[in-house]
Amino acid sequence: MVVARDVKNIDGMLLAPSGCQLSERQINILQAWGVTEVEVEAGAEMAKAHDPLSQLPPETLAKITADLRARFWKPDDFGPAPAEIYKLMLLRQARHILQPPT
Amino acid sequence: MTNPPSIKAMVQAVPRSLGSYGPVLAEIEQALQSPQCNLSTIGDAIQKDPDLTARLLRLANSPFFGFASRLSTVAEAVSLLGIQQIQDMIVASSVLEQFKGVPDRFVNKDSFWRHSLAVGIAARLLAMERRLPKPDKFFVAGLLHDVGRLVLLSQAAEWAQAVFELYQRERILLRDAEKQTLGYDHQQIASELLQSWSYPPVLVQAVAFHHTPAQSGAKLEAAVVHVADHLVNAMGIGSSGEQFIPPLDDRAWALLGLAPEALAKIIEAVDEQILAVEDAFLKNGNSGRP
Repeated sequence: MVVARDVKNIDGMLLAPSGCQLSERQINILQAWGVTEVEVEAGAEMAKAHDPLSQLPPETLAKITADLRARFWKPDDFGPAPAEIYKLMLLRQARHILQPPT
Repeated sequence: MTNPPSIKAMVQAVPRSLGSYGPVLAEIEQALQSPQCNLSTIGDAIQKDPDLTARLLRLANSPFFGFASRLSTVAEAVSLLGIQQIQDMIVASSVLEQFKGVPDRFVNKDSFWRHSLAVGIAARLLAMERRLPKPDKFFVAGLLHDVGRLVLLSQAAEWAQAVFELYQRERILLRDAEKQTLGYDHQQIASELLQSWSYPPVLVQAVAFHHTPAQSGAKLEAAVVHVADHLVNAMGIGSSGEQFIPPLDDRAWALLGLAPEALAKIIEAVDEQILAVEDAFLKNGNSGRP
């Protein structure tokens, strides 16, 4: 577990800087200082769990990517805005496959 | 075939009819002229039409408006939505009714209106995000943005067929097929139609240049409809005949200055609202209307 934001006690003393890896021993120390909550970075596993594209079978992902691309007019000339829209549409479609809208 | 029909001739052949909504609108107009007019007078006029009442309450209680409490009477709906907005909604419904006889040969009408309603929703949300005044006007602009195609389909079926044949054969944008076949496109037809119906000039400009917003006399309004149309095409909600996602104008996008997070939020809200809006506009209220 990696600390996302500096952990300080009520006097502002730094107990664990952001980016520091927390061991069980350090967690016990923080608890002894009265720390009840620590903001931690989402790990790669957690990020993956929240990324619908990574949850699709590769062939499904390839198909929805190709289908969406075929519908855009001149996808090779994409500026930043259509590229952003394309990304959002891909995510939306993946979510709809994983959890079909009612 | 000889020469394509003139836009004017096609538009003149479309009668301005408010259909079965005419009497209600006339009664509201009349009530508004009276010094004794109040919200319940307007509510009473609407309630004489049970189908309209059912639609209005469905829409008022939908995520489109997102009121915290449930509205159970027309009077409540009138007081919260406002008279102008209700008139706009009724007029919009009348346009749907007016074109119900257009054959489904090239464009499926349910799909057409689903697309149009979604563009209306997206345009309204974009206007709200940009804090533009009267965002509900953008719903009407979005709803009517492709109405020129229905005029062509209803008034010049053989020319519409020529457009779609070229479109399918050449795999070009439908608007380009219109221009190559007719010498004009659906934006110009809609512009003429809405002007003849005395729609406000800003709304006409937003519809008339929704593919070319930089040329509009109301650039921001046209940009809103343009971006909404692009988004809804990308979302694949219905279709007005175009199978491609038409290009996005960078200048229109820059004019709106949307953050990617705002865009994600708008896409989510369109998905959330479309079913309820479709339910209010496309499904029967209590009668056999579209």
